[in-house]
This record gives sequence, structure tokens and C-alpha cells, in this order.
Amino acid sequence: MNGEWQGFKKGNWCKKIDVRDFIVRNYKPYDGDKSFLTGPTERTTKVKKYVDELLIKEAEKGVLDVDTENVASILSFAPGYIDKENDIIVGLQTDAPLRRAINPFAGKRMSEKACEAYGYKMSDKIKTEFKYRTTHNDGVFRVYTDEMRAARHVGVITGLPDAYARGRIIGDYRRIALYGMDYLIECKKADKKELGKNDMSEENIRLIEDVQKQLEFMEQLKQMASQYGCDISRPASNAKEAVQWLYFGYLGAVKEQNGAANSIGRISTFLDIYFERDIKNGVLTEQGAQEIMDDLVLKLRLVRHLRTPEYNDLFAGDPTWVTMSEGGVCEDGRPMVTKNCFRVLNTLYNLGSSAEPNITVLWSQKLPQGFKDFCAQVSIDTDSIQYENDDVMRPAFGDDYAIACCVSAMKEGKQMQYFGARCNLAKVLLMALNGGKDEIYGIQVAPEGKVFDEGLLDYDEVLKAYKKYMKWMAKLYVNTLNIIHYMHDKYAYERLMMSLHDTHVERLMAFGICGLSVLADSLSAIKYAKVKAVKDERGLITDFVTEGDFPKYGNDDDRVDKIAQWIVESFYKELVKTPTYRGAKHTLSILTITSNVVYGKKTGSTPDGRKRGEPFAPGANPMHGRDCEGALASLNSVAKLDYGCCRDGISNTFSITPDTLGENEEDRISKLTTMLDGYFAQNAHHLNVNVLQRQKLIDAMNNPSLYPNLTIRVSGYAVNFNKLNKNQQQEVINRTFHEKF
Amino acid sequence: MTRSQPTANIHSFESLATLDGKGIRYGIFFVGCPLRCAYCHNPDTWSGEGQRFTVDELAKKAVRYKPYFGKDGGVTLSGGEVLVQSAFVAAFEKKMKKEGIGVALDTSGAVPLTDEVKAALGGAETVILDLKFWDDEHYRKYCKGGIKNVLDTLDYCEKKRVPVWIRTVVVPGINDTEECMDRYADVVRGYDCIERYQLLAFHTMGFSKYEKLGIENPLAGTPAMDRARLDELEKYLDERRKK
Repeated sequence: MNGEWQGFKKGNWCKKIDVRDFIVRNYKPYDGDKSFLTGPTERTTKVKKYVDELLIKEAEKGVLDVDTENVASILSFAPGYIDKENDIIVGLQTDAPLRRAINPFAGKRMSEKACEAYGYKMSDKIKTEFKYRTTHNDGVFRVYTDEMRAARHVGVITGLPDAYARGRIIGDYRRIALYGMDYLIECKKADKKELGKNDMSEENIRLIEDVQKQLEFMEQLKQMASQYGCDISRPASNAKEAVQWLYFGYLGAVKEQNGAANSIGRISTFLDIYFERDIKNGVLTEQGAQEIMDDLVLKLRLVRHLRTPEYNDLFAGDPTWVTMSEGGVCEDGRPMVTKNCFRVLNTLYNLGSSAEPNITVLWSQKLPQGFKDFCAQVSIDTDSIQYENDDVMRPAFGDDYAIACCVSAMKEGKQMQYFGARCNLAKVLLMALNGGKDEIYGIQVAPEGKVFDEGLLDYDEVLKAYKKYMKWMAKLYVNTLNIIHYMHDKYAYERLMMSLHDTHVERLMAFGICGLSVLADSLSAIKYAKVKAVKDERGLITDFVTEGDFPKYGNDDDRVDKIAQWIVESFYKELVKTPTYRGAKHTLSILTITSNVVYGKKTGSTPDGRKRGEPFAPGANPMHGRDCEGALASLNSVAKLDYGCCRDGISNTFSITPDTLGENEEDRISKLTTMLDGYFAQNAHHLNVNVLQRQKLIDAMNNPSLYPNLTIRVSGYAVNFNKLNKNQQQEVINRTFHEKF
Repeated sequence: MTRSQPTANIHSFESLATLDGKGIRYGIFFVGCPLRCAYCHNPDTWSGEGQRFTVDELAKKAVRYKPYFGKDGGVTLSGGEVLVQSAFVAAFEKKMKKEGIGVALDTSGAVPLTDEVKAALGGAETVILDLKFWDDEHYRKYCKGGIKNVLDTLDYCEKKRVPVWIRTVVVPGINDTEECMDRYADVVRGYDCIERYQLLAFHTMGFSKYEKLGIENPLAGTPAMDRARLDELEKYLDERRKK
């Protein structure tokens, strides 16, 4: 037995890679409160102060620095430190904190534009290196059909990962700490040998090549760690090494990949086993454990990629989605909350509130009250964390899944995702009315169909046409993603991340919807009020006159909520009819991040009374100001959407003023936990919680320098309010705030 | 469609009412009020026709919020003046009791203590009773009503051991002195049913409703009550009540 495993309970995990088995046999649930936690050490405060100074400089310039000479990869930069003397956990993406690397593998034009946007120029060296190289983006556009290009152009499908890296893949970085690289390499070599026995089908050849690519990068990761003086070929022997080994894996991944979201996984309870062992052996104190976690989190806060300003319109605030998943319940019924979950939340006090890492609490009715209360307190104090319902995810994903990006669950090391952005189902309605023409550009995008007459719209006829175009949309969307992910696997394969997965990995293809509330309310208006279509000089329906009232999504009113349910369920049914690349399982999300502003911009007036260009509601949220029976009615409407057909997540953002939530801190904590229990008991999936005054946001918009760390939750992630553009800030302020007079 | 059940005239709903009773409350606001308080912040609920609901229909809506009630929460009926429709209220309380949901009444106590009102009070989990002033004269001047019904209501709750929260809105220049607090303390002294006494700060956020409704706002120009001063008065009142 490895000396590094001294004191751990043995099991299946000793014979093969099985991190879950290790955790379940060894973790120690903690059902107490926050009282054991410690504040920041002098060292932490000192390093944090230096980082804050760098962040201010970065905020002034947009980016602090760009290395225009070297292409991002595991070994292309010399070791970097924040403060070599004081770093506990070492390693940066480049040789200096916040210096960004160029990563043209997904698309070189994007990288060039990003350099230019911040006053840098990509070096001739890189240009030459990539001149004869096919990027993912090149590959995709070789195959895109005219119809796909048109759909992309008008924005009925938008944000596709066809010019940037897809992300949303979580390497099981815990494996490095538990097993060391040599054992992992040995296992991959054995897998490759096994594959060699199969007939050489295209599928088998591709997988063998994948494994070989993985092996090359596993060796490189060892080299990278040795540059920092660490030997990760063997397992970690103590808590500090466990954190360091795991972080090296994550660091290698974000040096190599600039995917939209690179999440770190469900690591806290795994690491707690090492912390508990060291504390028991008297070689580590609580203060020491917190200091290590503070330093890890500080490193995670510095992850950066070089993006274009257009990218920021879609995903505002320079997010990296270093999502950490905390809590949840084990399949044997024990809560998986450990002291280390508390320590992670405590970093928001020790280091101040922050958008990253994207701390996600896997909520269950069965979580210990002490943890629920601390989570609620952190939400009220920092607005930096989100909640996802472990009680609906566990039956689907077991108890060792993690969240990637905002709301996407996947079994760690066993499932990966093909990210698919989202399609605009509200715009599809306008296309259905206009016989397949786009209402803004006036061009034919979908197959030609019946153009509706001016005047009163008949619900049944509209629905019939809508179903036809929904079918078209679903098929086109699946096929477009198939091309994208074929090319991404071919030209920008996530070698290191995938090396930390099982070789026979289960693949998910994650589709998305935007405009759900706009579409539901529009169909409700046509059904329950009188909606007259108005044509413009091109003969296209571009406006509507709505007479009478109609039920609106967000008021717990079944008449319209059932329409919303129908939209989601029938779109999912349509999606699964088209096979996916590599046999991926179709999943669906209702999540917009901040792109609800851009989607709104690209969509004409809709029958619900929304005018051309006005933002959509984010994610599965009801439209601003239309939920008039208060916060819980709004939550109840969203809770009706079926997670069974939205396995990639249903995002809901909730903002409330402190005075509305309760009289004092204790009362607010109690009410927030009761509310979360009530929402999730109805099988709802996700909730972002902001507890703040609207006035504070208005002040922050006008006086950004007074609020350098104001963090708020938007759809599925947190963002520094100052990093949003004015439109996005205004939209956040306009969102329904639940407040009481 | 004809309805066999009696209906209530409902103004609106607040599904997350956190300040009107214990825990998380589902707030239902009834139309109609016999008083015309100068500082009313809901003049839109005084009269008129809202939405009609039968007991079953209203119960169906309320039950949807049961998951949020935890061990303390429930439904709070408010208004307007909820006891104007007391027969309906009593029937609704019975229905809620069957569902295991407690009902709190937020009332001005301005309605005479009829048998129907008694039934409604007796069926309540908590009665949140406004004590607007300490004597009839002030009630007449500022509320166009009297104190008698309020005291009858309080006495009845005492007799039936229904827990009561007393509430007083404190308005600058009208009842914001220690002397006023002395008089409130005198009124409520000796009642065992009183669990809490809350002072609420007068605010100006209801002003826009007056403009919208075209009703003259008798307190236009009155500033919002200062929070710190309110806390001082609350402390003072608590001390006085102990004496």
C-alpha cells in the first residue's frame, strides 16, 4: 500500500480509479455551525492586498498585460508566482499574475481581435505558426450549410462555440492528488492497449488517437509541476500537497484551454479528508487549513482568458466559471457537508466577496441546519453564491457529480458535455408568423410557409405553425452542434481535461432555450386576449396590438404556466429526434447568462407587448414587472418546469431587498433557508439569490469607484457589477426586485 | 356561471409577506374599509370591486404556498379591513385548518363585534391589531372612526386567548412623542394575550397611490418617520409597558 494512503479506509478505490468510493468511505460529515472558522492570517491579508492593487490596474485597462509572443500551452511559460516567498499553493497560467496568454486553437481571428481590442498586436511568430494550421473555427465553417449560416447570422441560434473554445468540461483533478500521475498514465496506457484489440472502426480509431493525445499531455503536466519543484508522479501525502496536486491539474487545463467555462468540480469534501487526517495527526491547525483554502481560492480568482469585447456582450464581466460545488447528500443518506465546505464559503469573508470561483451549494432538504444557515448568511452578506437542488440532481447523476459553468451537472470524470449555447424560441414565433422569414433582416431563413394575415391572430393556427417551425429549429440546431463538436474534437481537443476522465466517457450534448417567458406570455396573449398582427412596408409582421388582459408567466397561474411547460417539453421531444455526434445524450437548459440583453436586441416586437430590441428576461425568469403576486408566486411558476426534460438546468435569479426578507439578520437567515427549502421541495432546480437594495445598484452605476467589489448574481454566475456595460447594468436594475412598501 | 358559495372581494396577493406575522406568510388583501385613516398607505383598497373568489378557490391558491411555511408560517389576511367580510373569513379559516395552515388576521378592529366577527377572531392563529390612537377623539380626527370596537376586539381576544400583536403607525408630528407612548402603554396594560407590540414607521411610498386615485392626500408634505427615532420610541414603549 502507498505510504501516502496511511490512515485512509481501504476499498475498491485502492484497486482502480474510483474517487467516489474513496470519498464515501473516508469523509467525515460535519453537522455543526460556523463557529469553528478562522479569519485570514497576516500572510493572506498581505498577499490579498497586493492582488487587489493588481486588480485595480487591470480594471483601469481592461486587461493588465498580454503575452503576444507565446501561444498558451502547459509548458510555454516559465513558472509564475504572486509572491514567491508567501505563496502556499503555487502556479499561474503565465509567468506573471493576470498576464493573459493567446490561445488561437479554437479561432485565430478571435485571438487577433482580442489583442487589438486592448491595444496589443499578435506577434508575427504566432501568426506564422498558425498560418497553415486549421483551427476549430476553420473546420466548422468548411462544413456549415447556407441555412446554418443564415440562422447564425440573424441570431435565432447565437453564442455557438464555433469561434471560441466550448468549455464546460470538468477534469477530475482529484485523481491526481489521490493516485499521482504515474498510476493514471499506467491506466490510460492499459486502456489504449485494450482498444487496440478492437476492429479499427472510425469510432475506435478516433478514441485511440484521443487517448494518445491525453497521454502526451499527462507527461507534460508532470513536467509543469516539476518546474515548480513538485513531483506529482506520486500521490499527495498531506493536505497541502493534495490541494497543490489538484490545482496543478486545473492549472494545466486552463493553460491549455480557454473554454467559456472551466469549472474545478466537487473538491471540498474530497480535500477535507486530507485536512482531517493532518489535523488529527497534529501537523495542521484549523488556521492552517483555512489559510491553504484561502490561497487556493485566491489563485482561482486570477484565472483569465483573452476575450473580445463582443464575447463580453454575451458573457459579461470576464467570467471564467471556476465553479465549485459544495454540500449535497450521499446516496447512503449522509449529508456530504464537511468543514471544508464551510472554509470555502468563509473565503468570501477572508478575501472579500467575489464573482469567482462560482460557489454553488448543492441544496437538499437533508442538509444540516448549521450549513443552511451559514449559506443563507453568506448570500445575505455577499450575494456571491448560488443554489442547485441536489434532491433532483442526485437521482439523475448520483452523488459524485459537479456543476460545470452555471447549472450543468455531470458525473465527475465519467461524463463530459458538448456545450451548445442556446436558440431563440421567441424569434421562432415571429418566423412562424412570417412564413420562415426573419422579421429584422427580411431574409428567408427557415423553409417557406404560410404568411399570416394582418389582423386578429387565431391561437390554434398560430400554434400549428409554431410546431412546424419548432421542429425545423430543433433539427437544424442539433445538426449545427454536431458539426461544431466534430470539429472541436478534431482541432481543439481538451487533451488534459479528458485525460482526467474515464476513457469510455458518457457524452452529453447541452442545448439551450432563450426567450421562454416572452414566448409563453406571447402565446398566452394570443390565446386569452385579442392580438392583432401589424405588417410593415415589406409585408412582414413586425408589430402587434394587444387588447385585453392575459395570464402572465410568473404568477403561479396554470393557464400560462402550462404553456411554458409545453414549450420546454415539446422542444426537448423535437431535439431528441435528431441523432447527435458521438452518441451524446441530448440535454436542455433554460439559461441565458447575460445574453438575454443581446437576444432581445436581435428580436422584433412580440405579442406579449415587448417591443423590438428590449431585453428578454434571463434564464427561466418571468419577464420584469409582470410577476405581480410577489416572489413566491414567481418561484412557483418556475418550479413547474420539468427538470426531467431540462437536465442541463433551469436558471432562476431572485433579488430581494433586506427589509423585505426579514426584520433582522437572524430573521432573514431563517426566512431565506425556509424559502429555499420550500422552492426546492417542489423539485425546482436552481436559484441565484441577491439580497440588496436597488438604490445601491443605481449608486454603483453612477459611482463605480465607491463599489469596487460589488458582486451580484446573474443567470447562473456571479459578476462584479462594475464589469457589466451600461446596458447590462440597466437591465439588472430593471429586473423585478421583490420589495415591500 | 352561478356560484353557490359566498365569495370574497379580493384586492391583491403578496406571496412573500415576511413582516405580517410569524415566518413566511401568504398575504391576501381584501377590499373595503370602514376607516379613512389620514396616513393610510393602501387607499386603493378602501372600496370598489376587486376579484371575486369562493372559499375553495382562495384555499386552492393559498395551499400552493404550503411548502414555504415551515413550522411558523401561514396565511395572513389583510386589507382594506378583512373583518368587513368576516363570514367569509371564518369559513376560510376552517378550510385552512383542515389543510394544517394557520391564518393570521391583520385588522384595524374597526368592525363591531358581531357573532360573525367573533367566529373569525376565534379561528385566527394570531390577530395583528392596529392600535391607531389611545382615545376616541384622536380616532375620530385622524381615522373617521372610534376606539370602542378596537377595545372590544382586544377584550374578545383576551377572553378567547387568541394571541395578539399590537401595531401602531408612528407619524411625525402626530404621535411621535414619549407622552404618546405613555398613553399607548396605558391602553394595552394588563392584557395577557398581547405577544408583541410593534411600532411601524410612517412612510411616503403610498403617496403616489393618492395621486393615481385622485384622492386628496391629507398628509402630503409630511416626511417619513425617522428610523432611529422610531427605535428610541420602541425602546421607551417597551420599558413603559413593563411598569
